[in-house]
Amino acid sequence: MLPLSLLNASKGRPMQVELKNGETYNGHLVNCDPWMNISLQKDGETFYSLEECYIRGSSIKYLRIQDDVIDNVKEESQRNKNQMRNRNNMRGRGRGRNSNRGRGANNNIRS
Amino acid sequence: MANLQDYVDQHISVITNDGRVIIGVLKGYDQATNIILEHSVERIFRPTEGVESSELGLHIIRGDNIAIVGQIDVEEDESIDWSLVQANPILPVNYNLK
Repeated sequence: MLPLSLLNASKGRPMQVELKNGETYNGHLVNCDPWMNISLQKDGETFYSLEECYIRGSSIKYLRIQDDVIDNVKEESQRNKNQMRNRNNMRGRGRGRNSNRGRGANNNIRS
Repeated sequence: MANLQDYVDQHISVITNDGRVIIGVLKGYDQATNIILEHSVERIFRPTEGVESSELGLHIIRGDNIAIVGQIDVEEDESIDWSLVQANPILPVNYNLK
């Protein structure tokens, strides 16, 4: 399992982020990207409260996530695998069901 | 072995650049050495008290911040009474060595 898929699966869930400078941010994960840039939304009235914030991925030290999020990722990756399997079964149906595909005019006609 | 694949689902110990020791089960990693740790516990070392274990749960640790990853022998680890171990904490990584 990739760390970024876990991060993706925790969208909408509360998390705690510690930055390299030691500051911590608590909030719901709104969005994230492949650079681990994240945006958080306010989570209750504790501490100094920002409505929303955007954190650059490179400034993150670690993310603390709820324990059950990892189970959702497992389900998701299983679902993806099934989808891939279905897609593989469909492979090779696109072209070449008749012979003589894309070969121009029928050679027998030429005099 | 220059690959974390063999450690997946094993107990590992991560030492971070700021000198923390975090124990947990490796659930995943990527090219940047970002790491997923499940059931993670931080071991806080102090010179005059026993080791304090702080439950942290599920973590993504960013690769930038990781100094060492090592496998743990669970049996040997459990045979140690960490509450009796007194030690100085590990110093943070220093980039300014001459």
